[in-house]
Amino acid sequence: MRFIVQIIITGIVCFMFQKLFPWWTMAIGAFLVGFVFSNSGFKSFLSGFIAIGVLWLGLALYVDNATHSILTEKISQLFPLNLFVLTTLIGGLVGGFASMTGALLKP
Amino acid sequence: MKGIKFVISLLLTVTLIWALNRSWDFGDPIPPLGKFLDPFHGFWANAEPPDPTDVQIMIPGLKGKVSVVYDSLLIPHLFAENDDDLYRVMGYVTAQHRLWQMEFQTHAAAGRISEIIGDKALDFDRTQRRKGMVFAAENSARAHGNDSIISKINKQYTEGVNAYIGSLSYGNYPIEYKLLDYEPELWNELKMGLLLKTMSNTLNVGEDDFEMTNALHLFGKEMLDVLYPDWEGVGDPIVDNPGGWKFDPITLDSIPLALPDELINIQPTTKVVKGVGSNNWAVSGIKTATGSPILANDPHLSLSMPSIWFAAHMKSPNVNVMGATLTGSPVIIIGFNDSISWGVTNAQRDLVDWYKIEFKDDTNNEYLSDGNWLPTRKVIEEFKIKGKDSFYDTVVYTHQGPVVYDQSFHGESEKNHYAFRWIAHDESLELKTFYFLNRAKNHRDYMAALEYYSGPAQNFAFASTEGDIAMRIQGKFPVRRKDEGRFVLDGTKTSNEWQAYIPNAQNVMIKNPPRGFVSSANQRPADSTYPYYVHSNNYEAYRNRRINQQLSVMDEITPADIMKLQNDNYSIQAEESLPFMLSSLDSALLTSTEQSIAELLRSWDFVYRPESVAATYYEVWYNNLYRNIWDEMTSSTAALSRPSDYITIKLMKTDSTLSFYDVQSTPEKEDLRTLIRQNFIKSLDMIDVWKNENDREAEWAQFKNTKIGHLLRIDPFSYHAKNGGNGSAINATSGTHGPSWRMITSMEKTGVKAWGVYPGGQSGNPGSQFYNNLIDPWTNGQYFRLKFPHSERETTSYRYFTTTFNSASK
Repeated sequence: MRFIVQIIITGIVCFMFQKLFPWWTMAIGAFLVGFVFSNSGFKSFLSGFIAIGVLWLGLALYVDNATHSILTEKISQLFPLNLFVLTTLIGGLVGGFASMTGALLKP
Repeated sequence: MKGIKFVISLLLTVTLIWALNRSWDFGDPIPPLGKFLDPFHGFWANAEPPDPTDVQIMIPGLKGKVSVVYDSLLIPHLFAENDDDLYRVMGYVTAQHRLWQMEFQTHAAAGRISEIIGDKALDFDRTQRRKGMVFAAENSARAHGNDSIISKINKQYTEGVNAYIGSLSYGNYPIEYKLLDYEPELWNELKMGLLLKTMSNTLNVGEDDFEMTNALHLFGKEMLDVLYPDWEGVGDPIVDNPGGWKFDPITLDSIPLALPDELINIQPTTKVVKGVGSNNWAVSGIKTATGSPILANDPHLSLSMPSIWFAAHMKSPNVNVMGATLTGSPVIIIGFNDSISWGVTNAQRDLVDWYKIEFKDDTNNEYLSDGNWLPTRKVIEEFKIKGKDSFYDTVVYTHQGPVVYDQSFHGESEKNHYAFRWIAHDESLELKTFYFLNRAKNHRDYMAALEYYSGPAQNFAFASTEGDIAMRIQGKFPVRRKDEGRFVLDGTKTSNEWQAYIPNAQNVMIKNPPRGFVSSANQRPADSTYPYYVHSNNYEAYRNRRINQQLSVMDEITPADIMKLQNDNYSIQAEESLPFMLSSLDSALLTSTEQSIAELLRSWDFVYRPESVAATYYEVWYNNLYRNIWDEMTSSTAALSRPSDYITIKLMKTDSTLSFYDVQSTPEKEDLRTLIRQNFIKSLDMIDVWKNENDREAEWAQFKNTKIGHLLRIDPFSYHAKNGGNGSAINATSGTHGPSWRMITSMEKTGVKAWGVYPGGQSGNPGSQFYNNLIDPWTNGQYFRLKFPHSERETTSYRYFTTTFNSASK
């Protein structure tokens, strides 16, 4: 339960950070939430990964749908990997590591 | 323990963010992945939803309200309460749709591409600077800045662009900035100069003085005049007015062909691109169905995404003009207003010269001129290079111009110092011409507007609601002596330099000719009685005749007839060469397959239809033959040019003994008949390979596969058009070049009607539905009626959305 709550809170905090500030500030959000929840390192990583991964994937899917994939189909030709997978992965990794770092700060 | 884990985890996180926040270059550039894929601000944010809504924008410095109504093609109709606001918002609106392109084009002109893509562009950048592109743009910007009218509109436009740039953050940067990871810089007046000089560069610098000098040495003057005659003796001049040139021309003493004694071992950096040209014509009311003149224009340029043109309608209490503007220029370049319309084609004329410079020593500090050692001026150019240290280049200027080639640049021997004299280096006021054309009411205003125009020299076609049609070839033209400028000149004697310019009043022009139409297609400007020596290495030989043949016989002309004519795919080149080529084939020597292709070609009507297979066979056959005949030119170590298509075909038909028919790389002695047959068979083989690779018949449009490439050569942002046409047809669409804007105006007293289309779209954003929406209609020869409302109220039936601009208090 605590794990799921952490995911949701991370998602909300990072959504607000990203709305206003550059992309990497979501790491600060995930770090802070990770620190507050202070789960184990692995669990924190996972919650950060899932929170940001889902946040990024969700928004990417929304944009893609609202714009009838007009740009997705062009940009995907420039990358060897599926754009949604790549977006989820990149966001997730940063979120995961930041969240884990936060958790590890607590003595 | 936990402390160490924390430190490691922190380091990992920070390193990851750092690595994902910067671009990398492992052969292919990789954008900053975190930044780029972030769905809030990354590339996802560039995707535009299909239904825009009305917006209010506040920008500083506006005096009143400006409404910008977009029609269904995303053409903006600007309604301003005064001129200052009109040009300010024009800058803002153009930048909204085309900012990246505006900047990239001017970076390219200024030799600054290495800043964006790294040192693979360094040779290109150095060429631009060494040709004096920035020098020319500075002179242009100075002249425009000193003009009270133009400095004002340029300032408004610039501030409008910068207001838009100021409103941006990473999330709404055009996608190219995100891909290459850089930022837009502020717009300025120099960039407008650079934009104009880019056109001059495209249209003037296709000269081949080095090649001709080498040809003179290798082949002698007699053969030179056979291969590259001054006047090919074909086609109608733009203005055919024998005996009608009633003025006293400026005359100069003749000059010797001042030549260096040795072959020039320079590989020039620029080459003529076949297929750059344009058509325009205006038909008098006596030949049209409505009784009002019709004007048509289609400038043929390199086809690119985003398109070089941006369509717009600009209205204030003082001006109401619509048409196409070069992206980044505040005025309409080809267009119409309530009274007149105008269109341009390039006026082919030799406007660049190369002078061989004698330096005193290898410091290049002094050079010889009329027996005196004069000091040079040195400019140190810095080239910022992405990911590397800057490169510095010293460009030496003599009074003639920049020394483009010297020991540090393409100067294969130490004796090769050549200064570049180019008309575009001079101060000039082109925008003033367009400013007044935008406002012109009649032929007199058109003539007055053209007085300001220097270059690139253009054939200005004109039509008015008063019923006048006209053509005027306007530019700043040096008075040439016979053969002057065809070859490299001796730079130590000022007598070899330009001594005078043709007075504007003595330029080639005509109004309301008896034949009922005016036209131009880059051919020779005037008949042989025109009292000035005119020269160019690429006067057009085919399109001009087709246009004139058609217009002479057409009557009761409607805009639909003109649309058909602009899309005409008939090739006089094919008509004049194919029957001869076929008659040289000995059918006894051909296999049955070869005979069937010959039969197919025999029944071809010389029309480059999209679905024509015969067109493909002719084109490949002719091109192979052409290359084979002139293999001497390409295999030579000295730079040489190949003769024109017209001369090639003429020689084939009239001189079967030319030594060039022998192919250098074979021991046999070929003659023309052998060459024609061999290339026929070779072209069949080549087309068979193509058919196997593509698994389809070699229809012309498929085979030609016209590419409309993105400026950065990004494939998913590029398109292919499957259309007919060819460089020698009126629809001059080659593989990379073609009609970049087609416009037709019917100058009816009850209201001007206009149609237009271009290969591209109004938006420069690949994430917009308006990025490429005009390509298919253009390919299919369709046109859109250009809406020309006089007030915002008239737009209700086709209004797509409106942007309202108001002043923001500072």
